[in-house]
Amino acid sequence: MRNVNVPRDGVPVTQAKDVAADPSLGKKFRLRADVVIVGSGGGGSVAAYELAKAGLDVLVLESGRYYPSSRFTEHLGDSMQLIWRDQAGQVNTSADVVFAEGQCMGGSTVIGGCVMQHPPDWVFQRWVDNHGLADLAPEKLAPYFNQVGQEQQVHVNESHEINACAHKVIQGCERMGFSWQPVTRNVKRCALTGHCLAGCPSDRKMSALVTHLPWASAYGARMFADTQVTQVRTRSGRATGVDAVVMDPDSGSEVARMAVDAEVVVVAGGAIQTPMLLQRSQISDPSGQLGKNLAVQPFTQALAEFPEDLHAFRGALVGVQVDEFFDTDGYFFYSGLAEPEQMLAQGYLGAGQDHIDFMKKYKRMAALNAFSIDEGNGEVQWEGDAVNGSKKIKWNPGRSEFENVKRTAALAARIFFSAGASRVYLPTYQHLAVDSVFDLDQTLDQVDYGLNGMYTFRMNSFSAQGTCRMGLDKYAAVVDPDGECHETKGLFVADGSLFPEPMPAPPQWTVQVVAKHIANRILERRDGLFIQGNSA
Amino acid sequence: MRQQDFSDRHPSFMAGLEPLSRRGFLRGSVLAGAALSAGCARLLGRKEAPEALEYEHLEPNEVRTLRRLTEVLIPASEGLPSSIEEVPTLGNIDSMAGKMPPQTRELFGLALWVFERRPMVSFSFTRFSNLDDDDALEYIRSMQQASFFERGLTTTLKTVVTLNYWRDERTWPALDYWGPVTEKWGVTRLGNAPLPRA
Ligand SMILES: Cc1cc2nc3c(=O)[nH]c(=O)nc-3n(C[C@H](O)[C@H](O)[C@H](O)COP(=O)(O)OP(=O)(O)OC[C@H]3O[C@@H](n4cnc5c(N)ncnc54)[C@H](O)[C@@H]3O)c2cc1C
Repeated sequence: MRNVNVPRDGVPVTQAKDVAADPSLGKKFRLRADVVIVGSGGGGSVAAYELAKAGLDVLVLESGRYYPSSRFTEHLGDSMQLIWRDQAGQVNTSADVVFAEGQCMGGSTVIGGCVMQHPPDWVFQRWVDNHGLADLAPEKLAPYFNQVGQEQQVHVNESHEINACAHKVIQGCERMGFSWQPVTRNVKRCALTGHCLAGCPSDRKMSALVTHLPWASAYGARMFADTQVTQVRTRSGRATGVDAVVMDPDSGSEVARMAVDAEVVVVAGGAIQTPMLLQRSQISDPSGQLGKNLAVQPFTQALAEFPEDLHAFRGALVGVQVDEFFDTDGYFFYSGLAEPEQMLAQGYLGAGQDHIDFMKKYKRMAALNAFSIDEGNGEVQWEGDAVNGSKKIKWNPGRSEFENVKRTAALAARIFFSAGASRVYLPTYQHLAVDSVFDLDQTLDQVDYGLNGMYTFRMNSFSAQGTCRMGLDKYAAVVDPDGECHETKGLFVADGSLFPEPMPAPPQWTVQVVAKHIANRILERRDGLFIQGNSA
Repeated sequence: MRQQDFSDRHPSFMAGLEPLSRRGFLRGSVLAGAALSAGCARLLGRKEAPEALEYEHLEPNEVRTLRRLTEVLIPASEGLPSSIEEVPTLGNIDSMAGKMPPQTRELFGLALWVFERRPMVSFSFTRFSNLDDDDALEYIRSMQQASFFERGLTTTLKTVVTLNYWRDERTWPALDYWGPVTEKWGVTRLGNAPLPRA
């Protein structure tokens, strides 16, 4: 019987400093594993756990640093500097939309807002009908959703987890007759600090850092941080391993080069990085869809000022959602006001005394984050050679997407006015605020689509998806229903890039579910995949 | 994309700023992110203001523009530490500039260059740092309402300056913001979640 011990705290991870200090490794070293997993976030951590549990020799390579929760400071700036990709500065080519992403052991799950949403069945039925994904039919995924739900301690917010910000949203919805619900979150005994986006120092958020990664490690998975996979190696249409560079996370200097031989490669770098790794590796793609179909779930934030003090940053960050427009329009809204710095990522800002007055109203503000579903017309592209090239994220709203963003901002503002807001600050690059609901439409009309909708609304994306879409037809999809690249045996994708259509829900739960499905398929096909034989 | 170098800085930009936007200039969000992290006093070691009048990464003309922008955007106010004398807003921006990748650093310099000279068109050939308080405020407000390019430029610089001020813990009491609380409240760490039962 195997002895399985989960460490009480932290995860055993080899870091650049360990590699530098180990003379036996030198500047170039080679490792062998049954499965090498690229990325340790939502998808990679689940795949690592499932495959290691089944007895495979698993190696996880993560480009970000290992930043254990014991070092979290609840200071958004610290986290952004250390574990948000590009210090929260990853943007589209016109630099007006931010693509936030975690870059650390645990990936984006470490800095996520904790909302866990099981998308409606019709989403997966469309995957079946339109993309031939019979194994992802709602009834087949249901057991996986249950399993992940239990592993992640998903629960519906209780009344103490509904803070003042959420109460204002509830009030507004009640007056408007809009449907709302408490959100479901992956938090165990929430300490109500409100610092989710900076990482949870008391391990109450069930990020990969305290769940699937330590569990995978308990089953023998090995993990390297500070290790950027530069290329997937293939021979005769089969994956044979990866090449990677170990880098000092502070100076960015190269510590060593690593080559890994593995018969199965699982890429789980997230929907922005995964397609670029496959492009750099020149993976055969008869569909021509690699990097395309980028869906971003654009969101903006309406900030509302109330006559009374709310201290709406206190308590659980996300309390309730507005689901009135979910099925009809693909709009969804979450209450949530984070640190004061986030006010500055809003459009209004002001100047002089106006700015000071704006900031001093922080304690009287509430925020509603307004998401809409986009059409998935964006694209991620690696341009240039593997070493000196650069990434391009191409996404600007089309006209109808722009109108959706505008409409969600207007609805959020209306909800707050109904709750008694005295002013709503609009999420625009222009300096726009409204003091009465009767002025709202007229004010919003000042925001004109202009040139590709650039510099209109201050939009963010926390949930990129779709860039390696999954489907039965190799001329329409990048990976097959098992998550394997259509023309490269042994090369799997297990992250948010798989979604074949833009999804109207926060994606983490679904990413984890799909990763479980893929790990399961790898195990079911074990005999055909590990032709050199495998220890298990 | 090939980056043009600074020898391209030429007053002909004043006629129309669009060429800059085509060069991917408006990296407002990049700078905003960098501002949040680079201004972190705890990690980088807070410089007590007033700093020595030397900045490691900013050029003197950039310091002049940024100082004026800081004074105008965040004037002295009851209950708040000064944005120049007490909070090292400029020092924080200097650290931020030092951590920018070369391309972003170049764009930041270019943004300041344009912002400094843009008022020459409508404020009788006066540079931004020479405008008096009222004109400087009026200039910022009109830039915020102007073309998409000017909106982007202004939002970028405003965000950089304000983030590097408000991220300082000394500004938080005036906002009634509670900052980090886990340690203060004695919240226990739960450690790793137990292995799910098979
Ligand atoms: C700020 C924020 C808040 C969010 N809040 C929510 C929420 O409340 N609810 C929700 O459902 N979703 C939320 N999300 C989205 C959710 O976190 C992601 O959808 C989910 O984590 C995606 O999993 P993934 O495996 O695709 O990517 P990630 O979790 O991002 O993991 C990818 C990992 O791969 C690593 N990597 C990439 N390329 C390489 C390479 N070449 N070599 C080595 N490593 C590499 C990255 O560094 C990263 O750690 C949020 C995201 C962000 C950024």
